[in-house]
Amino acid sequence: MHETSRRLRFFSFCALAVAALGCTRPDGANKALPGDKLFAACTSCHGNKGDGNATLGAPAIAGLPAWYVEAQLVKFRTGARGAHPDDLEGLRMRPMSRQMMDEGEVKSVATYVASLPSAKSAATLQGGDAAAGQVAYGTCTACHGPQGQGNEALKAPPLAGQSDWYLVAQLKKFKAGVRGTNPLDTTGGTMRPMAMLLADEQAMKNVAAHISTLAR
Amino acid sequence: MLEHYLESASTFSGDIDNLIIMVAVIVGFWFLLAEFVFIGLILKFKAQPGVKAKYVAGEDPKEKRWVAWPHYATLIFDVMIIVAAIRVWHHVKQEMPPADETVRVIAQQWAWTFVHPGADGKLDTADDISVVDELHVQKDKTYHFELLSRDVLHSFSVPVFRLKQDAIPGRVIKGWFKPTMTGQFDVQCTEICGIGHGIMPARIIIDTPERHAQWVAANTTGGAAPQNAGGTK
Repeated sequence: MHETSRRLRFFSFCALAVAALGCTRPDGANKALPGDKLFAACTSCHGNKGDGNATLGAPAIAGLPAWYVEAQLVKFRTGARGAHPDDLEGLRMRPMSRQMMDEGEVKSVATYVASLPSAKSAATLQGGDAAAGQVAYGTCTACHGPQGQGNEALKAPPLAGQSDWYLVAQLKKFKAGVRGTNPLDTTGGTMRPMAMLLADEQAMKNVAAHISTLAR
Repeated sequence: MLEHYLESASTFSGDIDNLIIMVAVIVGFWFLLAEFVFIGLILKFKAQPGVKAKYVAGEDPKEKRWVAWPHYATLIFDVMIIVAAIRVWHHVKQEMPPADETVRVIAQQWAWTFVHPGADGKLDTADDISVVDELHVQKDKTYHFELLSRDVLHSFSVPVFRLKQDAIPGRVIKGWFKPTMTGQFDVQCTEICGIGHGIMPARIIIDTPERHAQWVAANTTGGAAPQNAGGTK
């Protein structure tokens, strides 16, 4: 019986070894894939051009700065973002971010995303008061800039051109503590109290309406 | 026998292993016998000089029994397999032994959220502990689970329990398990659920009552910081 068991284990090992040979990447093991190849996994949600998909809650990412895309991928990979039980879209992004094999691949795909031509997202929300939003946006300018151009030194992403539904969704997440509460997410922790200054969804829509007036 | 390859960690995992072994032995025996007879007959009745092939209608009872007896054997062994399978299926899927605790398992593209009842042992109270990708249970305790899906079809699979149950959007599906050993094991999705299906693994952590109580205390609001990387609330 014991001998039989050892033989079975040996054959199982051989079968697994053969199977493992088929698990290497098609163009060779240990070879980092270029950004455009890695981006193929992103397209099912973010679109072939990285222009986002509101139905899936996937934002437009084309043309975002590489440093920001890389930082977010690292956050998703480490659980700093997208690991909250109520973060439906974040939990979807979390395993996808872990498809990259190493930091080099993260950089590659971030660089590729940054190279994609960006287009200004069309407005999808109704009832936002851009004038009221402009007043509230005053607080945001310190980090995101008066034109929503972002600030790499402060790790604040550009907002101009981003979809209004995504901006409101993220503000809600920050305010509810679904995003920005993980101790590893220092920049999210900075953003959270800012989002809490917005009293309700209408205030968030107002800010998003103002941001949609900013030139990309 | 199968536990040499994959731990057997629930009260019913041994029953399922025995069922698999029974089917493998019966089917394997008859497969080998049939091949042996088949190849033997081919060799015995291969083309020979001066012997003309003839058509056999199978009307002679002596010839007919080569088909009839295997038929009867198939029926008998089918009934044996069906009876054994229904007994195990009934025990695992139809019986619900009284629960010591209930956990909620929420599947989504592409993550698992497990809601633990906290120190009070009841779900939907303030001390519930929601954890992403980690299910914490204790050994020798009967658990009921409530299985939900937030989006599409998934399947909750715990290989060491030999447990698999589909999650269907809009339905709350109940089941049970009773862990019999401590350790950390895989939880998988076993229903194709989208591009990230293959990368939505989770872990089940089976602890002693003392260590489980420590984990509950550490993750209850007001206790120490959560032990996993950001996946609790």
